[in-house]
Amino acid sequence: MIRIEGLTIFLKTFRLMDLHIQIEEGEFHFLLGPTGSGKTLILESVIGLVRPKTGRIRVGEREVQNMPPEQREISYVPQDLALFPHLTVRENILYGIKAKNQSLTTGAEYVGSLIQVMKVGHLLERYPAHLSGGEKKRVALLRGLAPKPKLLLLDEPLSGLDPSIKFEIQQLLKTLHVSFRPTVLCVSHDFEEAFLLGDKMTVFMDGAVEQVGKREDVFLRPRTKKVAQFLGLRNLYAGKILTKDDRFERTLLGINNLHLSIPNRAGHSDLEMGRKVDLYIRPEEVMILREGKPVKESLKWNILKGKILDIADRGRHHLVIFQEKTERVLFEISIPNYAYRNLDLSAGKHVNVALRDESFWVME
Amino acid sequence: MGFRNTMIGAAVCIFIFYFGLLASLFFSTNLKGFWESLVHPSTLFSIRLSLIAATIATLLAVAIGLPSAYALSRYEFRGKRVIDTFLEIPIIMSPIALGASFLVFFHTPLGEVIQQRGIFFVFEFPGIILAQFATTAGLATRLMKASLDEISPRYEAVARSLGSSPWQAFFRITLPLSFRGLLASVILSWAKAAGEFGATVTLAGAMPGKTETLPIAIFTALASAKIEKTIVLILILVILGLVALYAVRFTGRIFRYD
Repeated sequence: MIRIEGLTIFLKTFRLMDLHIQIEEGEFHFLLGPTGSGKTLILESVIGLVRPKTGRIRVGEREVQNMPPEQREISYVPQDLALFPHLTVRENILYGIKAKNQSLTTGAEYVGSLIQVMKVGHLLERYPAHLSGGEKKRVALLRGLAPKPKLLLLDEPLSGLDPSIKFEIQQLLKTLHVSFRPTVLCVSHDFEEAFLLGDKMTVFMDGAVEQVGKREDVFLRPRTKKVAQFLGLRNLYAGKILTKDDRFERTLLGINNLHLSIPNRAGHSDLEMGRKVDLYIRPEEVMILREGKPVKESLKWNILKGKILDIADRGRHHLVIFQEKTERVLFEISIPNYAYRNLDLSAGKHVNVALRDESFWVME
Repeated sequence: MGFRNTMIGAAVCIFIFYFGLLASLFFSTNLKGFWESLVHPSTLFSIRLSLIAATIATLLAVAIGLPSAYALSRYEFRGKRVIDTFLEIPIIMSPIALGASFLVFFHTPLGEVIQQRGIFFVFEFPGIILAQFATTAGLATRLMKASLDEISPRYEAVARSLGSSPWQAFFRITLPLSFRGLLASVILSWAKAAGEFGATVTLAGAMPGKTETLPIAIFTALASAKIEKTIVLILILVILGLVALYAVRFTGRIFRYD
């Protein structure tokens, strides 16, 4: 287990206060934060290049914050990979094993299976300059894993790649993680990257942790509007708790004069009356109702009248911009293509929309 | 005349200027006199002295300059700016002023102790090395720092994370990666040392068969109106320099990894 406890860094104008991260063995953990939030500094202090002012970094039972990088057993794979250009792929891969004076024979089987899974067997005698972008990534990951580190540190592993290679590397990282279960801390500003790869994540903004949780927890249930905005979520509204009905476990929430009935479970904490909150409506959980068809009982809580302003084809789904009639609130609705074809929608058309209970999320 | 032609014309003018200068040397000599001056014992002595002194001075400059260059390239520390500025002292200071300063220094109590208890520099062989070292150490450090700056510190960061000590990371990663640039720096520093005149003549004097390096030999030959010998010595110095320049180009072609 890796524990970062109370990490505090002062460097020139940058201040990071009291950071805590806990990573279980075999976990793929994302440290997710916008550019300039200090992720690189955290990374460098975990590697041992920057000395934090206070705080502890535990790798298993050992406290490593005062150790030099070479004693920490933390392998670092930077964004630019930094493959050693004067060494062959084989020498790159074996660098860590040799540097740590580990036995080549005992490690041979493990490294052999890594080479097999990574499919770099045919590249061993080449120099990094003669590798493709995807091959370089594979070799860099392999070099990091070969000495069996206690933690693998990745810096934005999918950014700056062509879409085709991105998919390949994403699959590879998954295979790698499933096959060898390394403990990984991955630093990124790209929520898509985190969603594709991470088990758990720590969302980090303005020098402080905003949310820690499993990937679905963070994406479906962001703790604050700040997190939701950073994740690129749409349909965020400022609202107010109006009344509570404990019998049906529902709460009445107002976006100005648009009243919505939301289930009590759609929020992290108890929602008191009169409290100002932020509401997130998940675009893929909003339903456009078909004319003449009976509406299910469970959908009847929140049906809105309005019209379609615009439709955008997003490849795998269509994005419909819907304007509600009374308060003119805009909603983005995401509809899978197969459903879209049956709906016969066009800009300007008047439709009814059901906000399913699953579509609501209330933030502090 | 077009813009492009003006610019290229200027470049060609510089070439003609220097080439004409060199060509005039050949114009004023003949083969027989050339050979006699070349194999003359005093000429051979100067060549040997220059090669040895410049090599030792360069080795010393690298020994202190390489770690200094690394420090200036990789670390932030108090006084870094001041040190960086002082590297230019030998460039802004006239060589003769540098040599004269040494003479003054060796007349201070500390300087006298060094000369009496340690090595004698004034008008001796070590003086040549000291003078050449003084004029090249700053330059060598500057050039080597530039070569190290080109190598991303991330290579070392990765090597450290993989288990290398700072020394191992330097010798296995940074040194081989910057070798091309470092070697070019060393060669240029060596050429600069071999051509050094002002500081050497002031500190070590111009004693034939003792401290007469190639540039100093040119000066004495000219002073005693031995034109043939002057030309031979100049050509040797030019050839040495050209060989050094070609070596720099050559190192540019090997030790490439991209």
